[in-house]
Amino acid sequence: MGNSVWKDTWLITVRNIKTTLRNPFSFIPNLIISAFFLLVYEAGLSGIAELPTFEGANYLAFILPVSIVSAAIGGAGGAGQGIVKDIENGFFSRLLLTPASRLAIVLGPIIAGMLQLLVQTILIICVGFLLGLKVETGFLGVLFVLLIAIGWGLAFAGYSAGVALRTKNAQASQSGTLIFFPLIFLSTTFVPYELLDAQWLKIAATINPTTYIFESMRSVLIDGWVFSEMIQGILAIGIACAITITFAAVSAKKAVARG
Amino acid sequence: MNGKIEVEHLSKTFKKGNVQAVKDVSFTVEEGEFFAFLGPNGAGKSTTVQILTTLINATGGKALVAGHDVIREPDQVRRYIGVALQETGVDPDLTGRELLELQANIFGFDKGAAKKRAEELLGIVQLTKDGERRVGNYSGGMRRRLDLALTLVNEPKILFLDEPTTGLDPSNRMAIWKELRRLNEENGTTIFLTTQYLEEADSLAHRISIINAGEIVATGTPKELKAQIGNDLITMTFKSKEDMLNAEQLMSEHLGDSEVINQNGKLTCYVEDGAKQLLTLVRILDEENIEVESVNLSSPTLDDIFLKITSEQKEEE
Repeated sequence: MGNSVWKDTWLITVRNIKTTLRNPFSFIPNLIISAFFLLVYEAGLSGIAELPTFEGANYLAFILPVSIVSAAIGGAGGAGQGIVKDIENGFFSRLLLTPASRLAIVLGPIIAGMLQLLVQTILIICVGFLLGLKVETGFLGVLFVLLIAIGWGLAFAGYSAGVALRTKNAQASQSGTLIFFPLIFLSTTFVPYELLDAQWLKIAATINPTTYIFESMRSVLIDGWVFSEMIQGILAIGIACAITITFAAVSAKKAVARG
Repeated sequence: MNGKIEVEHLSKTFKKGNVQAVKDVSFTVEEGEFFAFLGPNGAGKSTTVQILTTLINATGGKALVAGHDVIREPDQVRRYIGVALQETGVDPDLTGRELLELQANIFGFDKGAAKKRAEELLGIVQLTKDGERRVGNYSGGMRRRLDLALTLVNEPKILFLDEPTTGLDPSNRMAIWKELRRLNEENGTTIFLTTQYLEEADSLAHRISIINAGEIVATGTPKELKAQIGNDLITMTFKSKEDMLNAEQLMSEHLGDSEVINQNGKLTCYVEDGAKQLLTLVRILDEENIEVESVNLSSPTLDDIFLKITSEQKEEE
């Protein structure tokens, strides 16, 4: 009797995926909002790409990362919501009463959240292609964008799972996702850094790791392989992940501990 | 590995509010025994079960379940027990069958064996035709039966059930009782059950411990517990308060050792050979012209024991 950690993680991840698919309203709104961002910003703002600062870049490629990051954050938030739901309905306790690996019990919903994110990101990129997106670095560039999206999603999944495990409360973790707004909008969301007007927004954008995520994606979508930009994005992810995953791990340890 | 539960000087203090929920509790449940923990809300029943099932740690004492230490070898314990707590629930988006198969898979059954086990258990708890429905659509009774099935997946040596019938209608309660009796008699499964219902403990358990305010206050077979407080119960009410107080004094004098309890406008006392004593008491009261309103003679129920023990405890405090 007894399984390996991998088998347990697999079983619990499959369970989470099933549950997500049976609740389409847990991911469809987020997907629609992300696609909506893409359409509306492209339609309403693409004119500003005529400005010399854009150096003739396609506004669609410029705004796509915003939509991808918003989809990623929404998808990753699903990880936390899955955990809170389990805690509230008592399924989490039932899993704790089995010999299942404690790691698997926490990792399952996070992995399921990452897969959800991956699918959403691919769908958003497809919408981009339908709108006429051209990627400077081709297929490999798209892969890099996906990688960044997953990395950023993982960082956010760690955050949302940590809040969920700590508060064990749906409302609290829901409001935890409000961090989404400053992350997305206090950045080079609509225009390049040089065009940001307010000084405070410039400072915020410099601090906000999302800025580096946007810039690294934009560099492969628009400019080609600019390694300095790419590395800054990867670095931002590395630091953010280190913080949020530690937060999640500490919270998880507390939640499965027999206090 | 065995089907025993051995508990020595177990205690649990919650840091929050410094509440001592379990105070120096010791008891042993033998393999194949049906044991009930009886007590009011907040008595420490659930906390004890949570410790024994590895969900929380004790702050003092020791507990062996199925021969393994609950604190040092929780994974070993988890393999051999089946648990239905008030805190445990189910994922409402899965079907009954899926939940059973998942549980079986987690306990190391391969795919085929898990399917078979799920089918078997759905039959046992009479949910075969609802196996494909999502649990979110189950009624309370169905959910409780599924809960029981989930605890049986790993063919546990010991079953822990925390108030398994609270809030159930009589027919569902009977169905659960029947299944628990069968498991205990046919499979020799040790059962540890907590309940607030005296009749439940009385009708199911071989042995009962009464727990109040975190302490075990009495242990024995239902018969022993009933015998412990005398054979018969006499209850009297009176026309006036004055009569009642006089009667209380007279009865106390006559009965000597057995205590006369004055509660809720009634006098009660536990006596041996109740019919004979009752006649004597009525005669004594009559001689003093005390007007008796009603008289009742009954064999004690667990309810009476429970009230007696918990009221004694209150007096001590």
